[in-house]
Amino acid sequence: MRWVWVLAVVLTSTAGDVFSAKGMSERGEIEDFRPRGLARVVHYIVTHPMVLAGIICNAISFGAFLALLSVAQLSFAVPATASSYILKTLLAEFYLRERVDRRRWIGVALVSAGIILISI
Amino acid sequence: MKTLDKETRCAIKNAIFVVLIVFGNTVGNLMLAISMNQTPSISSVTVPNYFGAMLTNPFFLAGTFLSALSLLAQLTMYTWADLSYVLPVTASGYVVTAILSKFFLQEHVSMFRWIGVVIISFGVFFVAETPPDTKHVDATHPDAQQVEGVSQ
Repeated sequence: MRWVWVLAVVLTSTAGDVFSAKGMSERGEIEDFRPRGLARVVHYIVTHPMVLAGIICNAISFGAFLALLSVAQLSFAVPATASSYILKTLLAEFYLRERVDRRRWIGVALVSAGIILISI
Repeated sequence: MKTLDKETRCAIKNAIFVVLIVFGNTVGNLMLAISMNQTPSISSVTVPNYFGAMLTNPFFLAGTFLSALSLLAQLTMYTWADLSYVLPVTASGYVVTAILSKFFLQEHVSMFRWIGVVIISFGVFFVAETPPDTKHVDATHPDAQQVEGVSQ
């Protein structure tokens, strides 16, 4: 049962992060952190369909993660759901058109390898 | 702050947001885990009682707030940094989670896990060395020219 929740968390959090990044990157770099600037950021977030879709996916992911925590320990739940890193990086390269160079792939490979060791 | 050059300001801003994302996520997860240990199992009580117990648990509320803060910081960071930069760099959270699980939840952290934590740290170091933004490089950048050269 816990692996069903792991799969649910991975798929929804991948969709959530990719949609969020896609929507937010269409906006220019945020440099104004005064209250009015932050209000504009929040307004952008709650009115952008792509960002909202991302947040909804992440909210579902959050619910699925809570369900997972109720049937498994945190030290299982956190590493097991980390397989989403490779999926997210692939989508970053081919869907978001980011330039994932060798250092980034080495980094993601090391992070994933570390997470496999953590799961043992 | 104004006397610093743009590169230094970007590095400081990056560091602040990585810390916000990692802190919110790891401490948030820890508090949620504590609250789930205190909440009765969902099969043993009625659904209203289950959500009632959850929503009045201070650890659940604090954990939710910190997770929301982490998400907001992450969304903000996407406006100037790549997804493939933000995700591996914030993986430093696993290192923090291993330490928090050991000392606050008294969960057993094996030798394999500590080795994993060290390897993850190396991975974070590699990605942190790359420029955060590769999507908004100008057309004179060598990589942009290389792509055009391939397409002709």
